[in-house]
Amino acid sequence: MTVVDCAGLTVREINQALRRLIDAGEREITVRHPAARHNLAVAILRDVSISIEGPVGYYCGGMSDGAHIEIHGSTGWGVAEGLLSGTVVVDGHAGNAAAASIRGGEVVVRGDAAARAGVAMKGGLLVIGGSAGYMTGFMMQRGIIVICGDAAEGIADSMYEGVVYIGGVIAEPGSDTVVSDASAEEHTEIGATLTRHGLKGPDTFRKIVSGRKLWNYHRSERELWKTAF
Amino acid sequence: MCGIVGYLVKADATCALGGPLLAMLGALALRGPDSAGVAVWGRATAGLKVRVKTSAGLIGFEAPSGEPGELALQIEAREPGAEVVSMGRRLEIVKQVGRPEDLEMAFGVSGLTGTHGLGHTRLSTESRIDLSHSQPFWARGTPDLAVVHNGHITNYHRLRRLYEQDGTRFYTENDSEIIGIYLARQLGEGASLEEAMESSVKELDGSFSYLAATADTFGFAKDPFCLKPLLVGEDAVAIAVANEEVALHAALSSPYTAREAGAGAVTAWKVGPGSEWPAAPGPCLP
Repeated sequence: MTVVDCAGLTVREINQALRRLIDAGEREITVRHPAARHNLAVAILRDVSISIEGPVGYYCGGMSDGAHIEIHGSTGWGVAEGLLSGTVVVDGHAGNAAAASIRGGEVVVRGDAAARAGVAMKGGLLVIGGSAGYMTGFMMQRGIIVICGDAAEGIADSMYEGVVYIGGVIAEPGSDTVVSDASAEEHTEIGATLTRHGLKGPDTFRKIVSGRKLWNYHRSERELWKTAF
Repeated sequence: MCGIVGYLVKADATCALGGPLLAMLGALALRGPDSAGVAVWGRATAGLKVRVKTSAGLIGFEAPSGEPGELALQIEAREPGAEVVSMGRRLEIVKQVGRPEDLEMAFGVSGLTGTHGLGHTRLSTESRIDLSHSQPFWARGTPDLAVVHNGHITNYHRLRRLYEQDGTRFYTENDSEIIGIYLARQLGEGASLEEAMESSVKELDGSFSYLAATADTFGFAKDPFCLKPLLVGEDAVAIAVANEEVALHAALSSPYTAREAGAGAVTAWKVGPGSEWPAAPGPCLP
């Protein structure tokens, strides 16, 4: 295991150090003293395991493809934004827009995720061990979100496709959503996913999918659109 | 952008505040290079602590007690261009054009003590860069009430026209000024600071996070759409609030907890007698 100590380094120097080690064949790297700085370990395109020991700022792990990044601390906005494949695990709370626009891979927030987690997801999986903030899953287009705790107002608002599972209380479903009970098969899949990431969820989950009424505008549904806006 | 910070010592005692505030502002310097300032609530004086912008710079003195709005006008009448930037029995604001590190040289901020403080580092987006438009803003006429803000109040012009009709004078073109005026009006009608902040979240439009404090209350508010960042952190000694965790990390000791505030969140802590904190923990002055 190789260590990158962030103390005294600029963000660019930290990321360059990571790239040099990865290019040299290193596959297990520990990052120390991140001090909540932004843009750490972004665009990592190799099958490498990076453990970050402490809080990070915005966009940690963003645009990565195939890496396994574990953050032992809280994160700022946009953790794992635009992830293509691989995993990003947050062993703490996440700021706004965790897993925004991911196309694949798995993002796990063991604590709470703030507003708009999973906004515009285009694939992949987002697991939130705690509660989810305002408008989580807003305009998601594909993928799966699993929330073990409560969901704040506007959950899955204006989603196109994809599925959101919620184990806790839904404060208020977003526009054009359909809420139902998850099936036995879905509960089995959720349980397997949580176990894989060392999480324990509630016994039952509700399921939200798109009502698909906002897909196309029709004059007879003007009120629906007014509400959505 | 703009960086906003707040630091509340978990003690009913006067403690070192300037160092943590300066460290937090320094960590957020990239969010706002145009001006910087801090507000500190220190030991109470018999009269009113006054800070005035004059041709000689920002000067401070203690004035006999009086009606704060009237007193401010009298002080400003002594010199053309003078402007009272803070007044209160405990509040003192120092601010200037430039980066946070310049504050230390000009005002020795690291030596400031008190129970709680606010800080601001400004990126100007819609109004002049000068001392008047720098933050923190004192809510004129209301002693000991000050505000720091990140974001835009989009119904500022409508509210300003409304308030000007009943004689409220504005000293800047900065939309942030309306927050202190709004809170002061609510306090004048009998609301607590927390109640005033809760109603502000409903009545102010736009994307905003702000911190406000009086001599006995310290709190934050966030817009209902959660469009601006604001995190709350806590360690054994203090509660710190800022719009990036890098600032919390600069002021708090590990391990600390930190989390983003929710949409429309308002939280206020009592300060001084009646607060939940012990009278004199280790890190504070005797």
